[in-house]
Amino acid sequence: MIEPLELIFEIDCPPDHAFGVWTERFDQWWPRGHSVSGDPVEIVLEPRAGGRIYERTADGTEIDWGEVTVWQPPERLAYLWHIRRDRADATDVELTFSEAGDGTTRLRILHSGWERLGAGADEWRNANRGGWNGLLPHFTSFLDSKET
Amino acid sequence: MPVDPVGAGGAFEALSDPNRRTIVELLRDGPRSVGELADDMPISRPAVSRHLRLLREAGLVTEEPLGTRNVYRLHDEGVDALQAYLIDVWGDAAARFRIVATNTTNRSKRARKP
Repeated sequence: MIEPLELIFEIDCPPDHAFGVWTERFDQWWPRGHSVSGDPVEIVLEPRAGGRIYERTADGTEIDWGEVTVWQPPERLAYLWHIRRDRADATDVELTFSEAGDGTTRLRILHSGWERLGAGADEWRNANRGGWNGLLPHFTSFLDSKET
Repeated sequence: MPVDPVGAGGAFEALSDPNRRTIVELLRDGPRSVGELADDMPISRPAVSRHLRLLREAGLVTEEPLGTRNVYRLHDEGVDALQAYLIDVWGDAAARFRIVATNTTNRSKRARKP
């Protein structure tokens, strides 16, 4: 068992709005460079269990990135994630949106299933834990400066 | 020069093959030659060599001389590139998500109270 990556942060909006932005506006905020084509014209997350996550390229080709496995708005969302990899190598992304008081949301992102990526996964995962801890303060200050 | 881990020839593609995953697993115990790897695998030496070439191009293993033979070992930089990629993707995505979520809420509040 390889421990999942965990990322937790708070957002200044209610859970239903956060859930809606993550799903309905996936196209708007997902970094376009993190795609197969590098510049997709559209990124789609179909809003239901079994829904596809894919990018559409300029010539109309649809390239699958994953599949929604849990659809429980506004609390829980999970999907298989295999962007630029075979579906057999998919990892699991699970999001939990919970009420954090004063109309804010606590979002927990859990990225697991690293063992499917092969023998090296354990090492990447362990190396990555330090990376997350170092990253979060940077995040927070970046986001705070954008909000004020 | 580190290779993009998810691109063509990158680490994820290199590890999509079970034989190459076995090679990485064997090399976790220490450096080995092509012959030593082939002894523990159900494939031929030339096949092991081909897999090693792909792993080397993906930045996951390095080749070095040891006495009269060449041995292969796991390459830390390949692991670092994968780590950097994951931090980059989630870091970037979460930051952008939070900005959109926060700003769209603020906009609707302003609309109600002009």
